Amino acid sequence: MDSRPHVDEERWDRARTREAFARLAVARGAGAPDAERLRDELVVAHLNLVRYLAVKFVNRGEALDDLIQVGTVGLIKAIDRFDLERGVEFTTYATPTIVGEIKRYFRDKGWALKVPRRLQELNLSVNRALEKLTVTLGHSPTVKDLAQHLHASEEEILEAQELGQAYNLLSLDTEVSGDGDKNAQTLADYIGRIDPGLANLEDRTNLERAFEVLSRRERIILFLRFYESISQTEIAKRLNVSQMHVSRLQQKALEKLREVLLEKS
Amino acid sequence: MNLPEPRSEHLGTVELRIPSKPEWVAVARLAVAAIANRLPFSVEEIEDLKLAIAEACTICIQQGGSGQSIDVICDVETTHVRVDVRDHRYRERAEGGAPRRPAVTAVEGEGLGIFLIQALTDELEYGVDPQLGTQLVMTKRVGA
Repeated sequence: MDSRPHVDEERWDRARTREAFARLAVARGAGAPDAERLRDELVVAHLNLVRYLAVKFVNRGEALDDLIQVGTVGLIKAIDRFDLERGVEFTTYATPTIVGEIKRYFRDKGWALKVPRRLQELNLSVNRALEKLTVTLGHSPTVKDLAQHLHASEEEILEAQELGQAYNLLSLDTEVSGDGDKNAQTLADYIGRIDPGLANLEDRTNLERAFEVLSRRERIILFLRFYESISQTEIAKRLNVSQMHVSRLQQKALEKLREVLLEKS
Repeated sequence: MNLPEPRSEHLGTVELRIPSKPEWVAVARLAVAAIANRLPFSVEEIEDLKLAIAEACTICIQQGGSGQSIDVICDVETTHVRVDVRDHRYRERAEGGAPRRPAVTAVEGEGLGIFLIQALTDELEYGVDPQLGTQLVMTKRVGA
């Protein structure tokens, strides 16, 4: 059932590891068939190292089995790359490789975003549990009470309270000045909004400048047509030209304006 | 590639003395997390530092026996935090005017924790000696 080579872990020490690597190097050099078996033996002999390291990362929100698995990948890489000639112990060499593999796993899983969320969630649950337990216990709960209630460690509760402050939600109606009197200002009062008047003003200034490219006649037509809302026919009468001509002039003037304004932006 | 060291400014020093017992290690972890949180460390970097501190305290406890104390001294700079974890023997020797740092001695069995700290921090100096005491000085840089 278990196809792992039998390794008596008690008897694995630094000397034996060195010896195994020496034999592995020879077997590999000669292309000997037992190279694979020697490699397997080394992997199994160091699974405890992987486990030891994986356990250290277990409170970061990933299953221990997964961490051991990726850690083992790191171990295998370390075994394949290890060179006795370097004169360092294998554990010295393997630890950063295994830790690196575990850390990369967290990174690939978008862990940097995940943990704040874990804390944030815990922070919210701590606040809820705080209210609930105060009622059921009849007094303010201890950190231990909270930890038991939320199935978290006491350290996590403290951490969620401490670091969680950055993630607290504030009501927009939170007063930021004044003493609760009618002059009190809330956060919402300080939030900026797009001021349509200001945007209008800008457009107006741009338009005014753009008008400078128009001829006198074009300006008159646009003014009458859009500021005074006079029909093209009426304008034609006033200027003593045909309505068709007014239409053409208006078209041309608008095109000029559009061109200038688009250039500006 | 030799980039000039970014200018660093000392922000403050925090000293913490905890009993040399496993149940107090969490206090050191939390304190260091709160301290590191004052610098623009990522959450992952803070977790790494916490783990390194816990390992360092554990080594002190294993080597120094219980019933004594461990000092955790954090020097906070704008670009990094330097944490000096030392046991009571180091303190007593330092008070007696002995050399600042114990000679580096490898103690059988201490190895894995040291390697782990090395893998998690940017710099580690340490001395572990049954007579002279235990001291681990680790540096974690922001965004390294």
